[in-house]
Amino acid sequence: MGLFDIFKKPTPEALAARAAAEQRNAEMQAFLQGGALPSAMRARLEGARAGTMPWTATLTPAELLIARSHGLRPIATVSATCWLHYGWSWTLGHSEGWTMALRRLKEEAYAAGANAVLDVKMRTIRLGGAISMDFTLIGTAVRVEGLEPSGDPIVATVPALEFVKLLEADVVPTGIAIGAHYEWLDDWNNSARMAWYGNIESPQLSGLWERVRTRAHQDLRANARPQGNGVLAHVNFSQSFEREQNNRKQYLARHIVAATTVDARRGVPLPHDVRIVVDLHAGGTPLTRTRPHHESYRFNESEGAI
Amino acid sequence: MSMQIPAHAAERLKGLRSSMHSTGVFTSDFSVNEFLLVRKAGFEPIGLCVGSCVYHVGIQYGSWNKNQELEVLSKAMYHARELATTRMRAEATAMGADGIVGVKLTIKRLEWDEHLLEFIAIGTGVVHGDGHRGFRAHDGGPFTSDLSGQDFWSLLHSGYRPVEMVMGSCVYHVAHRGLFAGIGTVGRNVELENFTSALYEAREIAIERMQFEASAAKAEGVVGVDIHEGSHGWQTHVIEFFAIGTAVLPLDQEITPEKIGEPIMVLSVND
Repeated sequence: MGLFDIFKKPTPEALAARAAAEQRNAEMQAFLQGGALPSAMRARLEGARAGTMPWTATLTPAELLIARSHGLRPIATVSATCWLHYGWSWTLGHSEGWTMALRRLKEEAYAAGANAVLDVKMRTIRLGGAISMDFTLIGTAVRVEGLEPSGDPIVATVPALEFVKLLEADVVPTGIAIGAHYEWLDDWNNSARMAWYGNIESPQLSGLWERVRTRAHQDLRANARPQGNGVLAHVNFSQSFEREQNNRKQYLARHIVAATTVDARRGVPLPHDVRIVVDLHAGGTPLTRTRPHHESYRFNESEGAI
Repeated sequence: MSMQIPAHAAERLKGLRSSMHSTGVFTSDFSVNEFLLVRKAGFEPIGLCVGSCVYHVGIQYGSWNKNQELEVLSKAMYHARELATTRMRAEATAMGADGIVGVKLTIKRLEWDEHLLEFIAIGTGVVHGDGHRGFRAHDGGPFTSDLSGQDFWSLLHSGYRPVEMVMGSCVYHVAHRGLFAGIGTVGRNVELENFTSALYEAREIAIERMQFEASAAKAEGVVGVDIHEGSHGWQTHVIEFFAIGTAVLPLDQEITPEKIGEPIMVLSVND
């Protein structure tokens, strides 16, 4: 496009493209309000499902290898987003945001005729706007050979290799559970700071944290129950702030836990032998190094909950 | 005859197609493990292939309150990458490579002009050790892939071969919220549907385009799909979604799932 093209009349192609873009926008809006999947998205997913379009998978070749040997067929890369504005609670918004994204991801997976979505990563794109956050999920919808497509595909927030490992041990990762809680402590007599004491616990702040964490974990349990009988791989995120209002200190403690829910049969050990190896390599090697699977809460990883 | 010419020398004497670069030296950016695995897979590196392109990215502004694709920028980001990869592929063709492994795509901003971006594609050209030509892309040229040497070995052992590095790009302007839009939502948690819709749309368009490229390359599927979000010096509400992966086809002699070896579980007892 040249500098003065703006003064030219748009060509018929440009007009058609503009109309198509507006159509896409309108369909997307309708979808977000609970309507049907946009037609372009449906075409992409159904094309991959029917084999008229190439399948697309976030799996690495090693994961493709293991998926194939276990009868899993990749269908399509699926993703979902929910951008939430926090009006009354940043903390509780996380549960709402991920739950909504999860629901949409399942809708895409359903349209792709999948049994499961693997390698689901939780992502956050920072685009400015401090009181809002984006909740994005990206993963690969797969079909299990010999099974009918599922009406309610499971969502596994683990890489394909781990998914297969879990399946062999009769454990099915099923979804994401979120627990979140926050509380304000109004320190009316300014006793939490204890500036003039020696070595002594601050019972008010200890109590605050204990309550917040316990409640967040209760919340996690309640959120996980409909999806499975356990959770794995917690991501813990906690923050605290102090503020002063009317000459009184107030403290905020917030705690968010995100975890992979699993449906595990008790007492079924891993069927494989485990070989013990000594890695002669000094420093990090693929055997010893791990990379975090999720990016959304990375900035606060060093702070664990318990 | 009692004297046997060593196989390697015999190949050279045939002179039909050397598995070496014409200078007799191969270059690559492989690590030792990658080198060993690529050779284990039956390939030999011949030379580093580089393609680059300095591109002047045009100007396009989105309407302040509108969600829209910025086609000028989308096309620029796509075209420039394509030029870089095509040039890299031309280099590979010139040295007689059957394919390129481990392609890395990078974008650099040139300091003196914010509209100038340099796109670089680098990968290692490889030839099949036995001169098997069945690994080439559908147009008879070298295959391209962003797979590492390790990934390349794994892919071949899962019954697939790489065909083409495929990508899709979409630069999108995310609408600003109106000045008074916040008033109605004070004290409530609400979804910002225009933001959600913008990210969704842009990502979908990028994936769609990548899938379309794979279809044009007559591939069966795309492995290792990665979706990048980035901004290359644009305004705050402009974001690029870039989908990239390697399009694959089953091997001529297909490996059935039952033939795939079972991995052994190990526990590293280093510290």
